[in-house]
Amino acid sequence: MALEALLIEDSKTQAAQIKDTLESMGLRVRVAYDGPDGLREASENPPALIVLDVKLPTMDGFQVCRRLKRNPATQDIPVIMLTEKADPKATMSGLRAGADDYIPKDIFAAEHLINTLQELGIL
Amino acid sequence: MSRPKGPYVMQPPVMSVQIEDSMDVMIVRDTVRQAGSLLGFSPANRAQLASAAATLAELVLKTGDSEALYLNGVMQGSKTGLQVSVDAPWLENVSSTNVLIALRSKLGDLVDEILLEGEKPPTIFMIMWLNDVRSTAETNQVNSDEYPSDQ
Repeated sequence: MALEALLIEDSKTQAAQIKDTLESMGLRVRVAYDGPDGLREASENPPALIVLDVKLPTMDGFQVCRRLKRNPATQDIPVIMLTEKADPKATMSGLRAGADDYIPKDIFAAEHLINTLQELGIL
Repeated sequence: MSRPKGPYVMQPPVMSVQIEDSMDVMIVRDTVRQAGSLLGFSPANRAQLASAAATLAELVLKTGDSEALYLNGVMQGSKTGLQVSVDAPWLENVSSTNVLIALRSKLGDLVDEILLEGEKPPTIFMIMWLNDVRSTAETNQVNSDEYPSDQ
């Protein structure tokens, strides 16, 4: 049975694109469109992987990641931040929040995502 | 294209990217991740290296120059690392102390060492060591100064 990923992404267009990419890697994908929904989904039904955007309404991706890593039910789930905020400060904030990788949304994003998922043993 | 140089013993991989336009910044990011992967850096460390190298590439673009950014493995004793370097002719008459303060302020969290060597032209070096113990606590610490707290 395919492993399940939880995608937390507020843009429906981008969510659909990333969902397609993850599904093409053989993963099943659930989508949450904001941080609180994502935290609830992750806690109630822990996925094998969380792909997390930074710019989210209500609660940004850094806050979501910190909460995931503080919650015993979700702290061991790999979190990959996939984002347009690629500057050094944002990168360090994501990694300090506990993200397992921080990948800018550029033309190489899918390739980097595959490499990291292979290394994490998810693919 | 000149050869890569640096203060430490070099080893493969040796890669370079000519920085000429904004697309090259993405290529730098990708190439750094590949080099980091070959040397065994974790995805999180590769993200740090890629961000530092991309920032250096953006700096080259802002000067209007076209420079080659070099990536190569380095060794010091039993330590292995990845070095990123680029010639910086636009810094020839600038105080190296001031340059290092600025670079370390912007990129110091991302890499282990930032050096400026030579004069005509000076070369910027950034190094991340693989064998250093990288504290999980440091990586995972909550940094509430940078982004709003979720408390």
